[in-house]
Amino acid sequence: MKVAVIGSGITGLSTAHNLAKQGVEVVIFEKKTYLYGASGRNSGGITTMMDRKELIELAKRSIKIYDDIQGEFSFNFLFRKDGYLKVADGFDMGRLEKECRLQRSMGVKVREIDPFEIREIVPGFNPESVDGGFIGEGGVIFPWPVIWGYVEGCRKLGVEIMRNSEVKGFEVENGELKGVKVKDETIKVDFVINASGAWSVLISKLAGVELRNRIIKEEICVIESLKPFIDPYILNISTGVYISQSARGEVVGGVVGREATEPDTSSTLDFLIGYAKGAAEMIPLLKGLSVLRQWAGVYDASPDGLPVVGETELKGFVQANGLGRRGMSLAPAIGEIVAKIVLKGKEYDEFSPSRFQFPERTTEN
Amino acid sequence: MRLTEHPIVKFKRGKEITIYFNGEPVKAYEGETVASALYAAGITTFSRSFRFHRPRGFFCAIGKCSSCMMEVDGIPNIRICKVYVRDGMKIKTQNSFPNADSDFLSILDSIVDRFYPHGSHYRKFNKPKVLRDFVTKQVRRFAGTGNPPKKAFEEKGSFEEIETDIAVVGGGPGGMSAAIYAARTGARVVLMDENPFLGGQLVKQTHRFFGSGKHRAGTRGIRIAEILSNEVGELKNIDVRFETKVFGLYNGVVGAVEKDKKLLKIKAKKIVIATGAYERTLLFENNDLPGVYGAGGVQTLMNVFGIKPGDKGLIVGSGNVGLILTYQLMQAGIDVAAIVEAMPRIGGYFVHAAKVRRLGVPIYTSHTIKRAIGDKKVEGAEIVKLDENWCEVKGSEKRIDCDFICVAIGLSPTHELLYQAGCEMKFVPELGGLVPMRTEYGETTVEGIYVAGDVAGIEEATSAMMEGRIAGLDAAIKLGYGGEEAIRLRDEVVRDLKEFREGPFGERILSGIKKVTFEKEAISVSAPEREEAISEGIE
Repeated sequence: MKVAVIGSGITGLSTAHNLAKQGVEVVIFEKKTYLYGASGRNSGGITTMMDRKELIELAKRSIKIYDDIQGEFSFNFLFRKDGYLKVADGFDMGRLEKECRLQRSMGVKVREIDPFEIREIVPGFNPESVDGGFIGEGGVIFPWPVIWGYVEGCRKLGVEIMRNSEVKGFEVENGELKGVKVKDETIKVDFVINASGAWSVLISKLAGVELRNRIIKEEICVIESLKPFIDPYILNISTGVYISQSARGEVVGGVVGREATEPDTSSTLDFLIGYAKGAAEMIPLLKGLSVLRQWAGVYDASPDGLPVVGETELKGFVQANGLGRRGMSLAPAIGEIVAKIVLKGKEYDEFSPSRFQFPERTTEN
Repeated sequence: MRLTEHPIVKFKRGKEITIYFNGEPVKAYEGETVASALYAAGITTFSRSFRFHRPRGFFCAIGKCSSCMMEVDGIPNIRICKVYVRDGMKIKTQNSFPNADSDFLSILDSIVDRFYPHGSHYRKFNKPKVLRDFVTKQVRRFAGTGNPPKKAFEEKGSFEEIETDIAVVGGGPGGMSAAIYAARTGARVVLMDENPFLGGQLVKQTHRFFGSGKHRAGTRGIRIAEILSNEVGELKNIDVRFETKVFGLYNGVVGAVEKDKKLLKIKAKKIVIATGAYERTLLFENNDLPGVYGAGGVQTLMNVFGIKPGDKGLIVGSGNVGLILTYQLMQAGIDVAAIVEAMPRIGGYFVHAAKVRRLGVPIYTSHTIKRAIGDKKVEGAEIVKLDENWCEVKGSEKRIDCDFICVAIGLSPTHELLYQAGCEMKFVPELGGLVPMRTEYGETTVEGIYVAGDVAGIEEATSAMMEGRIAGLDAAIKLGYGGEEAIRLRDEVVRDLKEFREGPFGERILSGIKKVTFEKEAISVSAPEREEAISEGIE
C-alpha cells in the first residue's frame, strides 16, 4: 500500500509517522517547506481544557503521545507544563464554568482561580482586567522542534518528504482516487490524506470534493527576550488576547484569528495596535517594551469546531483537517485516527466529512 | 576620553548632567547618546551575551546591531546608541551577575560548549522523561536577556494618524534630497529619521567629496548635511519627524514610533525608502570583544560626539572608508597601528592611500586579522599573511599592539522594510548584497515604493543625493505635481547620474545596476496581453 500525505505540518507528519510504523509506504508532498504553515507559526499553547468531549479526549491522548515520542525520537520539544490559564470577563465566565464542568467530568484537572491569585502566579498581572479564570493542564511547547523531531522520526521509518512539491491535481477513475499529480508526473497511490491546513479547501476542490472549512488568519508578535516571569499560557477568551513566554524568554502573544478569504500571511499594523492594548491591559508590565517581530499564520476551522477526519465520497481521498487553532494540542492523536481509518477501515462518525451533508449542527464556538 | 580640540569639527556640548550606571554617577552632556556617554566614562562592557555570557559593548553606533542593549529607567533591552541622555537617567547592565564587568556566569563561556554544545537542548537528556522535564526547567532559568520591568512604564503613549502624499524613511543624503525635490513640486511630504538631527551618515563625513561641482564636490560631508537640512527646514510642506523609528510598511501604511512614545500611522500615496546601510562584520576569533567596532561606529563616536575610541587602532580593510577613517583618527590625535587588507592591493582611491602613507601608517596587503586578543576588551590583535589562494601562511602571524579594532570591510543595504513590503529582491555583490529590483526612477516592484541611496546599492553620498532627487521627483510627478518642468528636471538628474557613474570607479556599480533595473511598462503588461502582443507581432 502507498499513501500520499499532503502537507508537512504536525497533522501530516503525525499521520505519516503512524502509517509508516505499520509498514506503509508514505510520501509527503509539501508545497513550501517545513514550518511554512500553521505548525511553524503558532504560539505553542497546549491544553486539555477544551469545550467538547471529543476534543478533550484527543488532547489528553496527544499530551501522552508528546511525552512518549520525545524519548522515542530522542528530541526535546521544550514542552513546559506550567499550566494553561483561561481568563474572562463576567459575561463569558459562565461559558468557562460550563466547559470546566465538562472537563472535570472527564478527569481533567482544572480549578477556578481569582484574579488576585493570578497575580501571585504571573507577576504584574492586572487583576482588574478580568473577572475570573480557570487554570488547568497544559502549557507551552516549542512548535519547531516538534516538527523537526517528527521529520526525523518519519525519515527513519522511510517516509519520503518532498518539499517545494505542490500538488496540482489528482487522477481519478470510476470515483476512485488513483494518483497524485505533482510537478510533471503522476504518482500512483492508494490513499491521499489531505492534511494541508488552511489550504485544505483548495486541495479538496482539486479532487472535486466539497469541504466547508473556513480559512482563519491569526497574527502574533514577540517582544525582546526577558528573564522568565510568565509561567502558564494565558488566554483571555473575552478579548481573544493570549500571552506566554518562550523558552528563549521572548513574550509571545497574539489575538485569536478572524476569517479570511484566502491563505494570506501578511502582517497588519491594526493587529499590533490591538494586541498591544490588550496585552498591556492584562499585564501592564509589558508597556514600553520593544516588539522584536510580528507575523501571521493561517489555519482552517470546520463549521462545527470538530476536526474533519475520514474518507470522503471520493474513495481513497481522506480528510485530516479542520483542527482550528488547536492543531498542536490535537494533531498527534489525529495521526493515530487517520492510520486506523486507512489501515483498518474504522469510522469515526463524530469527525466524518459526511456529517455536513446533513443540516448543520450548531456550535458553541 | 572626550576630545576637546579637533581641526575640523567644533563640538558643541550641551549642559552637563548626571546619569547613573548600575547606581554609580556618570558625567554626561545633553545631546550625547547613552552609549557615547558611558564610553566616554571608560565603560566598555554594556551587557553580557545570551548564552555564553561574553562581554557585549559598542559596535555600530547607529541602532542597527543589538550589541548595546541595556536597561534604561527600568525598561529592558534598549539599544542605548539610539537613546539620548537625560539628567538622572538610570542605566543598568543586563544578563549578568552582579554586573556585566565581572559576571559570575562568564564561566559558561569556557564550559558550555564542552558539556552542552549547540543543539543540546533538543538532543541531550531526553530519556528518561523525568530527566528531560528537569533539564527543560533548568535550561529555562538561564534564558532571557533583560529583566522584566518591576513596575509598569508610566509615560502615556499617544497616537497620530497622518495622511500625506509622500512618506520618506531616512533623513540621510538620499532621503533629504527626495523630500526636498518632491516638496518643491508642491507635494506634501513626511520625512522621518531615527536621530534628533538630519544628515544620516553625512554627519560624520569630515572629508571633502569628489565628483562634479553640480553635486556638491569639494564640500565636506558635514557641511552638505547642514545645507540639505536647512533646505528641508525652509520647505513648509515637509513635516519632519525626528527620533522616529519606522518599523513596518503595511500596504501603503507606514508604521512608526516617534520619540518612543507616539505611534504614527502614516497613510502615504508614495513611499521613498532611504534607510542606508549597515556595517558588515568579519569572522575571526573574538570578533565580538568590546573594542572591535564598525568603522562607522568609530566615526560616529569620534566625529559626532567627540569621544576618543581608544589610543591606538588597527584598521581592517583598505577601502575608502578604512583609509579615510585612518586619516580622521590621526587628525583627532589617535594613533593607528596598521591597516590590514586581504587583497593583494589597496582597495580605496590612490589619493587617500597616499595621504595615509605620508602619515607613516603601514598598510599590510595580503594580510588579514586572525584574532582579537584580550579578556574583557581588546588588548591587541594577531594578523596573518595570506597566500594567493587566500590561505593563511603558517608562521607569518604577527602581533599588533592596539586597544581597538575597526572593521572597515564594507556595508550591506538595510533592506528589511523592502523585504517586508514584498519588493522583489536580488543578491548583487556589486551593490553590496540584497537590493530591490527597481526602474530607472527608483520605483520597486511594489507600486509606489521607491528606493534611494545605499539601501538601493552601496555607493556614495553623491549618487544617493541624485537617486533621492529622481525618486522624489518621480513620486511627485506620478501624483500629478510639478508638470513638465519636474519631468525635465528628473530626466536631467537621470542623465547626470549616468554620467557620474561612467567615471573610472563606476564600472562595478554600473554592472550591478544593470542586473536590477527593469522597464516598468514591460512588467505591467499581464501575461495574456503579452501573448496577444507577441502574436500580433508587436514585441
